[in-house]
Amino acid sequence: MTTQVEYSEPAASSWKDWRLAESLRFSPLVLVLLAIMLLAVAPPVMFLVNASLHETLPDGSPGVFTLRYYQQLVSGRFFVPSLINTLIYACGSSVIAIFIGTVQALIVERTNTPGRKLAFLAAIISLGVPHVLYVVAWLLLLGRSGPVNELIESLLHQPQALDVYSLWGMMLIEGIGFVPLTFLLMSSVLRSTDASFEEAAMMSGASPLRAFGSITLRMALPALCGLTLLIFVKAVESFEVPALVGLAGNVNVITTMIYQSSRRAGAPNYGEAGAYSMCLVVILLALMFWQNNLSRHAKRYQTITGKGFRPRVIDLGGWRHVTCAVLVGLFLMVTVVPVSMLAFTSFQPFYGGVSMEAFGRFSLENYHALFGPGSFRDSILNTLILGTMTATLVVPFTALCAWLVVRRSPGAWLIDQIASVPLVFPAIILSVAFLDVFVNMSLPLYGTLLSIILASSVRYLPYGMRYAFAGVIQIHSDLEEAASVSGANKAKLFLRVLAPLLATTLVSSWLLIFLVSVQAVSLPLLLVGPGSEIMSVTLFELWQNGQVTELAAMGMLWIALMTCVSVLFHLLTRRHQLNV
Amino acid sequence: MFFKPSNPRKNRLLQACAAMALSVAFMGAALPARAQEILTSRAPNREELLLEGARKEGQVVLYSAAIVNQALRPMAEAFMKKYPFIKLTFWRGDTEEIIAKLSAEVRAKNVVVDLIEGTGVGELAVESGLTVPFYTPAVEALPEMYRDPRGNWASTRVSYFGIAYNPKLVPPDQAPKTYDDLLDPRWKGKLAWRIGTSSGTPLFLTSIRLALGEDKARAYFEKLAQQKVINFGAGSARTLVDRVIAGEIPIALNIFAHHPLISKAKGAPVNTQLLEPTPSTAGTMIVPKGVRHPYAAMLLADFILSPEGQGIFSKAEYFPVRPDVPPLDTLAPVVPKIAGVKELFVSSEQLNRYNESSQKIFEELFR
Repeated sequence: MTTQVEYSEPAASSWKDWRLAESLRFSPLVLVLLAIMLLAVAPPVMFLVNASLHETLPDGSPGVFTLRYYQQLVSGRFFVPSLINTLIYACGSSVIAIFIGTVQALIVERTNTPGRKLAFLAAIISLGVPHVLYVVAWLLLLGRSGPVNELIESLLHQPQALDVYSLWGMMLIEGIGFVPLTFLLMSSVLRSTDASFEEAAMMSGASPLRAFGSITLRMALPALCGLTLLIFVKAVESFEVPALVGLAGNVNVITTMIYQSSRRAGAPNYGEAGAYSMCLVVILLALMFWQNNLSRHAKRYQTITGKGFRPRVIDLGGWRHVTCAVLVGLFLMVTVVPVSMLAFTSFQPFYGGVSMEAFGRFSLENYHALFGPGSFRDSILNTLILGTMTATLVVPFTALCAWLVVRRSPGAWLIDQIASVPLVFPAIILSVAFLDVFVNMSLPLYGTLLSIILASSVRYLPYGMRYAFAGVIQIHSDLEEAASVSGANKAKLFLRVLAPLLATTLVSSWLLIFLVSVQAVSLPLLLVGPGSEIMSVTLFELWQNGQVTELAAMGMLWIALMTCVSVLFHLLTRRHQLNV
Repeated sequence: MFFKPSNPRKNRLLQACAAMALSVAFMGAALPARAQEILTSRAPNREELLLEGARKEGQVVLYSAAIVNQALRPMAEAFMKKYPFIKLTFWRGDTEEIIAKLSAEVRAKNVVVDLIEGTGVGELAVESGLTVPFYTPAVEALPEMYRDPRGNWASTRVSYFGIAYNPKLVPPDQAPKTYDDLLDPRWKGKLAWRIGTSSGTPLFLTSIRLALGEDKARAYFEKLAQQKVINFGAGSARTLVDRVIAGEIPIALNIFAHHPLISKAKGAPVNTQLLEPTPSTAGTMIVPKGVRHPYAAMLLADFILSPEGQGIFSKAEYFPVRPDVPPLDTLAPVVPKIAGVKELFVSSEQLNRYNESSQKIFEELFR
């Protein structure tokens, strides 16, 4: 056991050798998990590495070896500005998301603010909004002819004062878009943090704010860093906001560069796109290394110990009206604005912005069209299977991996690194890679639903990892040590001790992966074949064909369905006393 | 099993794979030669041979860029009504996605698709060596420019391109009527075009190069670059028109001329203006190399070009290639011949030949 090693640190002279030897040791379980993960992650990654290092022949097959794409990249006049933009954009949006999400989670998990439990429902509803529509809703609100600009114009007589097609606009929209995700993740962290430390601080005279700042947040630091990393990387690889907001304002980031270069010549050529993706991988690996160092000191942050713990709410007194107002404000911003925009559009004959005359055009036509003949009903079952299977594959697998990583099982650091790789590839390019993998397989997987499930599982592996990691890191190993001393083997340890303690985290992780995997568009786009249509792709086609109002109606139905799934889930878990 | 075991298409795919494995094992290279024979057959009993072969194949897969509900589904239903022994399945994608999927399938020798239909896919796929020649007697009914003498592709529908403007932001009497009007300083920052696809900026730039010649075109582009045209990157030409309707963008260049008309009929604040000359292109169909159901594919090709198939396209608000099938009355105003505007037909071959150099011009001046 590694825990013993920590108590008998070797002499400083042999420290380096010891660390090297330690990092190269692998336990058999880790080896098996590594093998599975490599099998899943390596083929698409290899495809992209190959594409970036070989000339592409006209039929798309690799030609001679070349470094030209990397040379072009570095010498191109767009590379450095787009890299800088990417970093600013990702930093900005993760700061916004983490700040708002954490504040919301603190209020919900740690205070007696009235109506706080509704925040979960709100977050889940906003996760159900198709991302493209979410972005468009914000553009309508903040856009050149949107109500915000009109208000500024009438007050300050300055036409179009607000230019949303800029870096700050991108950061704002993307950041707010991530709030439901950070909120859900942070609240799962806070829920499994022992509140007795905060109580001790407050008994010693600290204000609630100070207790939050110097106790709660400090203890959640590794989990917070993990989340920041996740959001940061997610922003780096995001596509909708850079494309809809950034490109229109001539703000280039790396994903839009990849998009443009992969579509540039007509015939498929993924060399430049592959090279760009490799740059993203390098950035990610550097960040992962840093995070790995942080988790080295994991013990300091463990709060769930054998003593038993109770996450407790704090009575805010009169302040709870303030926090309630904050929650309502967030609810308006994160959920009500995009959803009501969607609802409004779904009753319109065409997509024409918000105005008094638009209210006069109210019609139910789009909802009639929904229930006519369409692939919609065929695809709904496929979609539910996709989400369920992806989440069910990813969650237990990542829980096991995260446990091994946090307990520093020999070689497990590599698991963490590999599991994060799929996160950094932009979905538009990962889709091409998976297409190539499946079409070349001897198994007839190409074009089937199963191929989409497998690709999604790889894609959302990092989400499961981050979620499980945040949960495990707070569970003190003394419980496992106690079980171990009492004769439990590793399997028993995991299933009987760790899994129940982690249950809350795992259940919310399942729901999150379900919700994000049924929404993805870019990834399944090329993998879908005749007969394996899924909802998100159908929605995307409606958007592409300009049937935006029909899309909004379908989006509303979709949100209703996702809300039902979430509520059902909530009820089920409550019956089994997993307070999610 | 993860997938629905009862899914008939899935089973068929498995069967198809098994059948292919068997046929490869037993017949070696004999099949491709036979497939080519029927694809280009001009035999008097062609129809009979096709029916007999298609009956054995029992299925056909179409990849198309056409809209699902209005075009592809009715097309599939009508085809299967006419040939109840063939099951037609389809997948819809953009040109770039179709090419990506097609090239991956051909490279892997795992060709699922039997017939491909879309704008901009024709010559590109032919030059990349992803297709085989074919012949359908239906092309005889088409004008010369919609046919490929080498038989690599056949046109299926026509598109006309114009500008869309929002009359609330651009009064109709002041809307640009010529290419030169676009250079008016008052439109600075108010024009947008669609990037990231061959029917976007490359088509616009190519058509001007074809119309004006390289030198004049270059001078024009340099002036146009001063206008700071907005690069619209996410979404189809149709979604760009939606941005115009929403009032986000006053004028969109190089959009499908009929899209604004469709929305205008519903009361949306948008209008089309044709510029002189009006660029037009034709959507094409091609047959992939290694096609698995050549007989059924040819029946489908015949059907798409038949008056019935073209009528379905027409009803779905596309412009048919057959002169004997008229476009919808509501869309007629953007047909250059009817509007009295000069048309500039940009062939699939020209579009492909000029694509790379037009992209370069775009990157140099407009990005």
